[in-house]
Amino acid sequence: MARVVVTGVGVVTGPVTGGREHVRAFLASSGAPVVSVRSSALDGLVDETEARRLSRICQLSVAAARIALADAGLGPGAGLGLVIGAEFGDVRSTIAFVDGYLRRGPGGLSALLFPNTVMNTMAAATAIAVTARELSLTLNAPTVAGELAIARATAAVRAGRTDAVLAGGVDEFDSILAELLADGGAPSETRGEGAGFVLLESLDAAEARGARVLGEIAGASWRAIRARPYGVGRDAASRAIAAALDEAGATSGDVGRVWVSASGDGPRDRWEQAILTEALRPARPPQTALASRTGRHAGLGALAVAAAALDDASGGPALVHAVARGGTHVALVVRNRGRATHDV
Amino acid sequence: MRRIAVTGLGVVSPFGVGTKAYWNGLSAGVCAIRPVTLIETEGFRCRIAAEVPNGIGGSLRRSRADRFALAAAREALEDAGLSRVERAEAALVVGAVGGGMLEAEAWYWERYRGSRPPSRPTPRSTLPFAHAEALGNALGLEGPRETVVMACSSGAASVALAADLIADGVVATALAGGVDALTRICFMGFNALKLLCPEPCRPFDRDRRGLSIGEGAAFVVLEDLERARARGARIYATLAGHGMTTDAYHVTAPHPDGEGMVRAMATALERARLAPKAVGYANAHGTATPQNDRIEARAIREVFGPGQLLVSSTKSMIGHTMAAAGALEAVATVLALVHEVVPPTANLETPDPDVAFDCVPRVAREAPVEYAISNSFGFGGQNVTLLFGRA
Repeated sequence: MARVVVTGVGVVTGPVTGGREHVRAFLASSGAPVVSVRSSALDGLVDETEARRLSRICQLSVAAARIALADAGLGPGAGLGLVIGAEFGDVRSTIAFVDGYLRRGPGGLSALLFPNTVMNTMAAATAIAVTARELSLTLNAPTVAGELAIARATAAVRAGRTDAVLAGGVDEFDSILAELLADGGAPSETRGEGAGFVLLESLDAAEARGARVLGEIAGASWRAIRARPYGVGRDAASRAIAAALDEAGATSGDVGRVWVSASGDGPRDRWEQAILTEALRPARPPQTALASRTGRHAGLGALAVAAAALDDASGGPALVHAVARGGTHVALVVRNRGRATHDV
Repeated sequence: MRRIAVTGLGVVSPFGVGTKAYWNGLSAGVCAIRPVTLIETEGFRCRIAAEVPNGIGGSLRRSRADRFALAAAREALEDAGLSRVERAEAALVVGAVGGGMLEAEAWYWERYRGSRPPSRPTPRSTLPFAHAEALGNALGLEGPRETVVMACSSGAASVALAADLIADGVVATALAGGVDALTRICFMGFNALKLLCPEPCRPFDRDRRGLSIGEGAAFVVLEDLERARARGARIYATLAGHGMTTDAYHVTAPHPDGEGMVRAMATALERARLAPKAVGYANAHGTATPQNDRIEARAIREVFGPGQLLVSSTKSMIGHTMAAAGALEAVATVLALVHEVVPPTANLETPDPDVAFDCVPRVAREAPVEYAISNSFGFGGQNVTLLFGRA
């Protein structure tokens, strides 16, 4: 089984857009949450044709993927896979497509908008933009989609099914979706928008091309905890954390920091704390919730993994953790760059 | 590397509920494509589809697609005879696109027209992951849980991803499949793209004019072959290999040379360590669009050689069931191996001279095949090939 390393990161979020140096600067800063991505953030990252033809969520995805590849020093080309997590997909285009029909009947339907109603539209646009010709997955999940995509991509690289994978997620958040969620009784939380990818490679491949390694994903696991659909469970026993730590050859006491998925959804945030308490006791490593600065979206998984990889101050491997209402939860054990290349 | 067995099958199809009804319909060459009753079709060029008949059961509080998924998944789990403990540890991988959109559309239509809409579906119940949430909760599945959205190859991708989890040793058992109910968005969209045929589709026919939409669900139980043997499970077939590739060419059109399709089939053969001549049957993606069938036939010929295997499209009978298609066709392929009968391509009157294969026109064919592939291709140039072997 191959060791899986992170060799690039690209994020397009409210407070930070860029690669590893931008992420490092963001982590060293503080500030109020910025949940929306400014349109100027995409300047120079999508060309004029893409800006005209691609929906905004696809543009976010393409831009973050390009940043991650540039950060990794890897050109677009054969041998690249893509795993994208998303919670909502292209809601804006879907509603525009439907409204076209409701206003004008069959003549009002747009053949150009229709593909955007399928949630893999971001993967399709991104695969074309960066010439990703191996597996290309879109994983749909509430809250944990980005982390889940990274865990699935880690498994693919570890097993040797693909050499390099861009893994992360993208979500767009606008007034239409906010209205739909509020009307539908969705729990209150700090939602945001953006895209984030990490480039994952086998350690051997990364070293062979002289890549600058950010860190290693030493363990990755995802499981379900019993809960009603969209509900919070009573059980707090996490098999995912145990499996990820075991794969990394680490114990709960080794964990130096936890990057949590807390986003202001009180019941879910408390459930995550109960899960972590039970899995890591008696240790209580420090925690960071990135959603408090960016809002929750599927791009956060990549930002959390990059942040964990860049964390030189932590005394041990980091745990990137996310749990969703309904019970899907993900655990990633990340070693920072020094440990990634010299430990184990 | 662990080998993978198929030990359970479950289907909801335009032939009704159950694997038996499905196989009876396919093997008899019955076309289930008829006038649409579920949604308004006034003003559209195509007004037919293959709908699942009444009688699927389940609570009407659930979406139509959730009820499909639950019925098919329950049949597959019961067929496999898994214990409660085995279920709790099993992975669940669902291929989905439309989610509970049919019900959300009804609400949105009413709201737009200013009438008082019926009870509102929650936004999350309309999303693809809703099925996995419903299945996981109702069936006690607490292993890895994923919802994969790969357009028309979603169902096949779910089977491939579940197989990887077993091959990697993450789980010993997985429930995998795809589901989609007919939705207005899908029906309108394919009409807008002018890809729908006004008459039942005719895959690989010289005069084909486009696809027909269908709906349904199919699930398979995959299992570590050794464990399945040890517990005395009925083994329908082995999943000997699979390939997943991307064209990275166009959002809706396949690569004109079918190079991504070729790589998917070649990868499946490579993982199965099989020579092309070992494969005797291809359940084609076979949508009946002029473009797909020509390119797919060319790709199959490039990998397997001209005329080297039987090729048929079961979409000619149940339509294109979108996210369910890859899973329904995987089940059809497995049953073709089990029964030693290749299902036909219905409505095939005049074979396309550019298709260098016997496409089994109208009547099923007895054929003891050792290995068979099932192809699924989707928007975004997403190609999946599953390769099954006789048990």
